[in-house]
Amino acid sequence: MKNLIAALLFILCFTNFVHADDTKYIDAMKKNIEQMNSMKSVEDMVDLTNAFLRIGNAEKTKWLPFYYASYIYIITSFSDTVKSKKDSYLDEAVKVLAIADSLQPNESEIYVLKGLISQARLQIDPMSRYMKYGQEMNSNFGKAIELDPKNPRPEYLMGMTLYYTPEQFGGGLKTAKPVFENSLKKFNEFVPKDEIMPAWGKTQLESFLKQITNQEK
Amino acid sequence: MKFNRHHLLAALILFPFFINAQTKISGKISDTNNSPLPGANIYIKDTYDGVTSKEDGSFSFRTNEKGEVILVASFVGYKKYENKISLKKGEMKIDIILEEEITQMNAVVVSAGSFEASDEKKGVILKPLDVVTTGATADLYTSLNTLPGAQKIGETEGLFVRGGSAVESKTIIDEMIVQKPFSSSVPDLPSRGRFSPMLFKGTVFSTGGYSAQYGQALSSALILKSQDMPTQTISAINLMVFGLGGAHTQLWENTAVSVEAGYYNLNPYNNVFKQRVDWNKSPVGVSGSASFRQKVTKNGLLKAFVSYSKSELSLYLPDLDNLPNKTFYGLEPENYYSNVSYRDIVGDWNLFGGFSYSLDKDRINAAGNSIAQDQRLVQSKFTMNKKITESSYLTVGAEIQNTLYDDKFNQLNVKMTEVYTAGFVESDIYFTNDLAAKIGIRAEHSGILDKYNVAPRISFAYRLGNYDQFNFAYGKFYQTPEKNYLIQYDKFDYENADHYIANYQYLGEGQTFRIELYYKQYHNLVKGTIYNYPYFNLPIVPFSNNGTGYAKGVDVFWRDGSSFRNCDYWISYSYLDTKREFSNYPTTAFPTFASPHTFSVVFKRWFDPISAFVALTYIHASGRPYFNPNNSEFLGDRTNSYNNLSMNVSFLAKWFGSYSVIFFSVDNLLGFANVYGYRYSTDGKISNPVLPPTLRSVFLGLFISIGETNQYQ
Repeated sequence: MKNLIAALLFILCFTNFVHADDTKYIDAMKKNIEQMNSMKSVEDMVDLTNAFLRIGNAEKTKWLPFYYASYIYIITSFSDTVKSKKDSYLDEAVKVLAIADSLQPNESEIYVLKGLISQARLQIDPMSRYMKYGQEMNSNFGKAIELDPKNPRPEYLMGMTLYYTPEQFGGGLKTAKPVFENSLKKFNEFVPKDEIMPAWGKTQLESFLKQITNQEK
Repeated sequence: MKFNRHHLLAALILFPFFINAQTKISGKISDTNNSPLPGANIYIKDTYDGVTSKEDGSFSFRTNEKGEVILVASFVGYKKYENKISLKKGEMKIDIILEEEITQMNAVVVSAGSFEASDEKKGVILKPLDVVTTGATADLYTSLNTLPGAQKIGETEGLFVRGGSAVESKTIIDEMIVQKPFSSSVPDLPSRGRFSPMLFKGTVFSTGGYSAQYGQALSSALILKSQDMPTQTISAINLMVFGLGGAHTQLWENTAVSVEAGYYNLNPYNNVFKQRVDWNKSPVGVSGSASFRQKVTKNGLLKAFVSYSKSELSLYLPDLDNLPNKTFYGLEPENYYSNVSYRDIVGDWNLFGGFSYSLDKDRINAAGNSIAQDQRLVQSKFTMNKKITESSYLTVGAEIQNTLYDDKFNQLNVKMTEVYTAGFVESDIYFTNDLAAKIGIRAEHSGILDKYNVAPRISFAYRLGNYDQFNFAYGKFYQTPEKNYLIQYDKFDYENADHYIANYQYLGEGQTFRIELYYKQYHNLVKGTIYNYPYFNLPIVPFSNNGTGYAKGVDVFWRDGSSFRNCDYWISYSYLDTKREFSNYPTTAFPTFASPHTFSVVFKRWFDPISAFVALTYIHASGRPYFNPNNSEFLGDRTNSYNNLSMNVSFLAKWFGSYSVIFFSVDNLLGFANVYGYRYSTDGKISNPVLPPTLRSVFLGLFISIGETNQYQ
């Protein structure tokens, strides 16, 4: 009896241990992912990036913490009003994403971020960066679609760029609309593999579409 | 209470709570100057426990870990802090000081004397696009004329920098000197640069104090870096008022090939626009180039470039001694240029190796005399760069150039060979992120002079705040005399110059201000009479290295791309005081290729509704000296000031799925009557102004790109 209890306890503790560890990871990730919706300032963003990096550095083999850290760096770059800082946030985004890429090669979501980084670089100085980063962005989004044709995010981002490109350069609402629609269709069919996998974009796209249909009227 | 199994079970289940004897770690994080560092990540290694520091650098977090742990603090731009601590129950106070990490990314950029155009680096004043959209001609050298330090000289090509003659400026492509960056020209009609600005991803225009990696230019170095891998397969058709051309780039995974060819004939154009030049045959020419790029390893890139051009023109120049007779002058330049280079990172070393071959042939018919001038240059250069300590980099390199000159004047033939070798060592040292130095030394040997020289170069940069810095540079620069002197006399020595430069620079958000003071002292300038034209009746000057001179002044630059929406403008002003005694100057004089005051404004605006880019360039240069044999003071006369307003408009359009640019430009829009100088007859009784070939010039071109993918689809 004693031995049995000891054995049971051992098994219980052991499985608990493993389970607890993964739960701890999932819980921490979920908590941080949730907080991403309430980021208001650059300070909030830095705070959350650091939190993801702590998880990533402790876990060592998980790519998602680095993925999210990189994603927030990109958002920070878009948000910061100091122009000279924008590129340095993206430099960090590139560094951190490279870690994610080495842990999870050929991941569609990572190529989405690579494309988003090119897009952010392009926006800082479109006139002179268009040659280099426009091309780089296309090839990254292209690769993201190739790796996972069901991923709705590349088209969502491509549509945004198209929408803000003047018509004479092949952009504008007319060109962007089918791209958005295609992306929305994919969003509706998209089921993330688990609760911490990237799921951003859908709500942003829906509210954006609402906004532009209002404008059309 | 009796301790039974159930208690044990409960204890095990509650185990995590028992050990939750938490530790609270708090403190303040700051840099070595005691300034707080907000946004730093402070955590316990291999755990999730940690926090981000607040605005005042304070931090505080709780951890359930026990015993020995490693406390980490990391912040971008600072060295990572790791400290083994023993966790105690309750509160622990730990203050952290982070040391700044000295990296090239964070450090001040040494930039005395130079203007850089690049997309990739920080601290640049121009973008490659600026080079193409300035001035009326989309010529690299024309746009450099809008930067302070460059003189506006209309009658001949070349960069005249801070009182220096055109031969004192060298163009360097991919680390190697270009023998003839311009094709040859006829008197008083400048030629354009031979290389399209689109070939280059980076341009550094140094108006003095440049690095020990380059030599043989007393005044200025224009350092060009060619494009790396192209980004797409694309074809282009160019239609211009006086010619047409085509280009194609084919891209594979690790390989790219580009070819380009063009033809021009100025005859129809010259018939429409009234010419001040008496053409026998208006310029006609063909040109072609090919480039090859191969990614060999992850960082290894092999580049090869070949270009060929041939043109022909002839005209009649007024013979001022026998008017109305005219002198026939015909010119057929033919130019080959090729270079191959390889760059890679092997271990800790950045390696570069390059080879280049040039052959430039001019066939001249001057008043029935047949002149042939061939010049062949073979050169090779290699450099190695390595980080040697945590905050310093070392670059070493060597180059060799073999030049063969072959000149024929009717039956006379002169041949001459030069073997030039040079080596350099240069170190970039970052004392702090705010104080950096570039210290180098260059040693050269010229076979034809059979002499060595050693030239030290040093420059410093000190950052004052986030946006502004001081720069200082000193350097010694040597140059072998020009061929025309060397074939006449064999006891020449190097010419040399000392540069002293101090500058203040503000590089803000969309705004740039730069002021630079300079002093240049020339020594051992070559003297001697080789042509008496255009200085007739002057005493013959014997050959020697006894020439001297100086140039001093101030260059001011202001650029503002943020104050007005869609607008960008820059203003340059140069004040130059220079005097020299060289060539066949009988005395010290302000040279013909210098203006005391040069002022220019470039204004660019993007018009969104019509997709057009408009650029206006205005240049004012005060009068330059010219030789008047009737004036007892040598070069005592000055021309009127030079004024030019040019405009270019680029319309972007998409037709049948292809992107097109319509480029339209007018030079001297307002029709200023500019005179570059005067030519006199031998007796001084008749004079003729040196004028631009037309009052205004107009250019219209259509550039179509085919197969350019929609950038976003």
